[in-house]
Amino acid sequence: MARKMLKDGEPDLNKGAEEGTNFDFDLFIIGAGSGGVRAARFSSNHGAKVAICELPFHPISSETIGGVGGTCVIRGCVPKKILVYGASYGGDLEDARNFGWELSENIDFNWKKLLQKKTDEINRLNGIYKRLLSNAGVKLFEGEGKIAGPHEVEVTQLDGTKLSYSAKHILIATGSRAQRPNIPGQELGITSDEALSLEEFPKRVVILGGGYIAVEFASIWRGMGANVNLVFRKELPLRGFDDEMRAVVARNLEGRGINLHPRTNLTQLIKTEDGIKVTTDHGEELIADVVLFATGRAPNSKRLNLEKAGVEVDKTGAIVVNEYSCTNIPSIWAVGDVTNRMNLTPVALMEASHFANTVFGGKTQKPDYRDIPYAVFSIPPLSVVGLSEEEAVEQTNGDLLVFTSTFNPMKNTISGRQEKTVMKIVVDAQTDKVLGASMCGPDAPEIVQGIAIALKCGATKAQFDSTVGIHPSAAEEFVTMRSVTRRVTGSAKPKTNL
Amino acid sequence: MKQAAMATSLSLSCSSPLLTRNTLFFTKTFSFSRSFSLSPPLSTKTLISQSPPRRTFAVRAESQNGVDPTGHYDFDLFTIGAGSGGVRASRFAANFGANAAICELPFSTISSDTTGGVGGTCVIRGCVPKKLLVYASKFSHEFEESNGFGWRYDSEPKHDWSSLIANKNAELQRLTGIYKNILKNSNVKLIEGRGKIVDPHTVDVDGKLYTAKHILVSVGGRPFIPDIPGKEYAIDSDAALDLPSKPEKIAIVGGGYIALEFAGIFNGLKSDVHVFIRQKQVLRGFDEEIRDFVAENMALRGIEFHTEESPVAITKAADGSLSLKTSKGTVDGFSHIMFATGRKPNTKNLGLESVGVKIAKDGSIEVDEYSQTSVPSIWAIGDATNRINLTPVALMEGVALTKTLFQNEPTKPDYRAVPAAVFSQPPIGGVGFTEEQAVEQDGDVDIYTANFRPLKATLSGLPDRVFMKLIVSAKTNEVLGLHMCGDDAPEIVQGFAVAIKAGLTKADFDATVGIHPTAAEEFVTMRTPTRKIRKSLDSQGKPDSEAKAVAGT
Repeated sequence: MARKMLKDGEPDLNKGAEEGTNFDFDLFIIGAGSGGVRAARFSSNHGAKVAICELPFHPISSETIGGVGGTCVIRGCVPKKILVYGASYGGDLEDARNFGWELSENIDFNWKKLLQKKTDEINRLNGIYKRLLSNAGVKLFEGEGKIAGPHEVEVTQLDGTKLSYSAKHILIATGSRAQRPNIPGQELGITSDEALSLEEFPKRVVILGGGYIAVEFASIWRGMGANVNLVFRKELPLRGFDDEMRAVVARNLEGRGINLHPRTNLTQLIKTEDGIKVTTDHGEELIADVVLFATGRAPNSKRLNLEKAGVEVDKTGAIVVNEYSCTNIPSIWAVGDVTNRMNLTPVALMEASHFANTVFGGKTQKPDYRDIPYAVFSIPPLSVVGLSEEEAVEQTNGDLLVFTSTFNPMKNTISGRQEKTVMKIVVDAQTDKVLGASMCGPDAPEIVQGIAIALKCGATKAQFDSTVGIHPSAAEEFVTMRSVTRRVTGSAKPKTNL
Repeated sequence: MKQAAMATSLSLSCSSPLLTRNTLFFTKTFSFSRSFSLSPPLSTKTLISQSPPRRTFAVRAESQNGVDPTGHYDFDLFTIGAGSGGVRASRFAANFGANAAICELPFSTISSDTTGGVGGTCVIRGCVPKKLLVYASKFSHEFEESNGFGWRYDSEPKHDWSSLIANKNAELQRLTGIYKNILKNSNVKLIEGRGKIVDPHTVDVDGKLYTAKHILVSVGGRPFIPDIPGKEYAIDSDAALDLPSKPEKIAIVGGGYIALEFAGIFNGLKSDVHVFIRQKQVLRGFDEEIRDFVAENMALRGIEFHTEESPVAITKAADGSLSLKTSKGTVDGFSHIMFATGRKPNTKNLGLESVGVKIAKDGSIEVDEYSQTSVPSIWAIGDATNRINLTPVALMEGVALTKTLFQNEPTKPDYRAVPAAVFSQPPIGGVGFTEEQAVEQDGDVDIYTANFRPLKATLSGLPDRVFMKLIVSAKTNEVLGLHMCGDDAPEIVQGFAVAIKAGLTKADFDATVGIHPTAAEEFVTMRTPTRKIRKSLDSQGKPDSEAKAVAGT
């Protein structure tokens, strides 16, 4: 293929592949999660001959267990959201009473039934993903894939037999897995994998961690009626998010009855007759049926034979890639959580599409990480796009205008629920450009998606203001924020109520 | 335009504040027979001559206004009607330094010539109470869904209508109080009573005269029930929001958004609901696919639609039940028959015609792009002008007007890409052109649709679906319209409305990363057009190759 001169940093797609070599496949992908399946389908649609390998299916992942669909479908976004739906009825039932609904005294929540239905749905989706692959003409292998060389993949099948295939390009999309802390009794705790598949509903829960997974499970179990203790090291949960919004989430979690233990760590877990005895570094003791470690995830890069193949890996175990998702070996690429860039399904999809377009579509594309919206499915949820106030202060020299709106959602005026919705817009005072938007309240993730397009395209506050509201909605608040809550100058620290 | 309007008004503004029927006839001859339908009720009721001139003079002497040769007025702005538009305009006017007053009828949940209330339709008998009832009625669907998520109730949840209505009314009282406070805190003088224009600068409120440099008419609209035998047995949306008991079996006549919203409310609260529409489809003016989708989904939830049936008469049986006779037949046994057959501007008996304000055939006040009537000192906004009858539009018109009048910044409201919602169940949100409008105005458009079962429904087992649609200009790639019917549609569409108002393209949508897992992400992940519509033959060759490029697969 005749190519124009390479621009700086642009990948050379032919480097490493000797002319005239015949490969079994144009692309071999290790890992059939969100990124891998997307890359396989798109590459195949571009005319490439594609194979993909994936570990056998099971809800709980391990070195040898996975499943087509990956974390998102089997033990992430989808089952999590199903449980969040299930849990949110707990609050709805409370809200219904003041709207005139008379509910029986005995309302029963059947965890096993929900779990069974969740598993059915996951199985269905697993099947759909397999069909997506076969319909796209992608060859699927079940087994563990390893890199045997720059153009060589070895697949160990379930029965132990090994297959070896050559490919012009190899894509690693093996994702990541939940980690456990190194404390005495850690084997008594579980990770989010098991939490999504517990046999019995846990009535008393201790969750260690302050990230989105910790917060989401706290909301899930609390909504279903459990006693929940959330233990985290920082002053507030959700490090990295806008400080003001973190405080809102903390307040809401407490308002919904979750016990927060800020600036706290766990020192040990001991099994007792009454349950697991959990000790904190403040000397406090808690008894739990389940202890969940939501203390981070690590890339699945250990058993891929990367060192031998010479693929560079960073300290965290993440595969080092350039802007086009190419590793230091020109024929080996990596997308998704295994590269630990921004660990979100839609980002893995973006990376995978851009990879396919770059390598097989004749359209060189770098993923764009600006203004990526995302959500925390706590109850109520948080969703954000663009810069937090702290990031905006750091990344811009100019003045910032901060608009916030704290209001009682209309539903609460009747239900009596004491929970405010909070919205926030951070605007560059010089350019009027909206740099960041966030919301914590019902439907936040649904509401922020449209706002994200506006931000991505550099919309100004004036353009927000010129948009007519949809009345009565919560979302209309985003286009009716008239008065500046505060002005923050470049040097000054943001004034929040922290 | 503005100069022409002023010229007309000069000849009219000389009319005396003491109105006689002569002035009525005067305007009648002047208004191209537009007031034909309006003048009979006016002259029969003779409301205008009801305020005795004596009293008027007495007040006048007291307040020394109107005739003040120095051109001083009591107020810079006098607003008639304290609904969404009126409150917004008077608040902003006061904030801009104007001396503002506003008058409003006494509070009642049912509107009439003599009752209204601060807050207006939106707060008292529109958006707010409607949405509260939608929330209440939605719970029954949520209880059903929750079964699929493992929740079980010993006995079926029962609904107590009276406690809902009591809680709703307490909230409305709170809100009308808040609105009064807003006016007070903005230093707007609130006068309770019926305002009537007596001359281009004078308003009569129950016999007291107030002069103003500018008069704003923001009196809104009211439900309208057609004149058929037995119409006295029918209720309108005002009454439906404040019924003493829940209907057992209700006929809702009309296919507009109000009809569909109430159908959803009563169906959710387990009434037997029948909707009678004159046409084949509900929601005239909306996107065709949305019209079909919403009716189908409402029918799945148990609402019975009677299409192409016009109401002819209502009869009451000995047992008190009502029968609706239509062009096709008669349906018996209704506890309630509700008409949602449109709304009419509240422009009668306001003295408008007599001072020369032009009124359109539908009763709405004719205004120019700045909301100015044919009398230069008289302005009108909101439903009384029957432009786009939405609260946020009235707010926009109110703000634009105050900028024009008190900020030296002539501002026209911008009616492009105004988003709107229908709080049916499932709800609808939309912004920009319908497919039909886009084809007519743009010719070549690409249509992207998604029709899917949301994650929640796969678990609940209910037949709920979501429909989404993007309408894209084939020439410019601009997204011309976006429509959705399904859970959270009104909340979802708001953000997209910012994008569409800003003229963003399909490529901009595609460049945006989704929020997973949401329904909204579907709008940024629509890759392949469902169909391409080409007006010109010239462009018909091109699309196919474009289709592949768009599909990108």
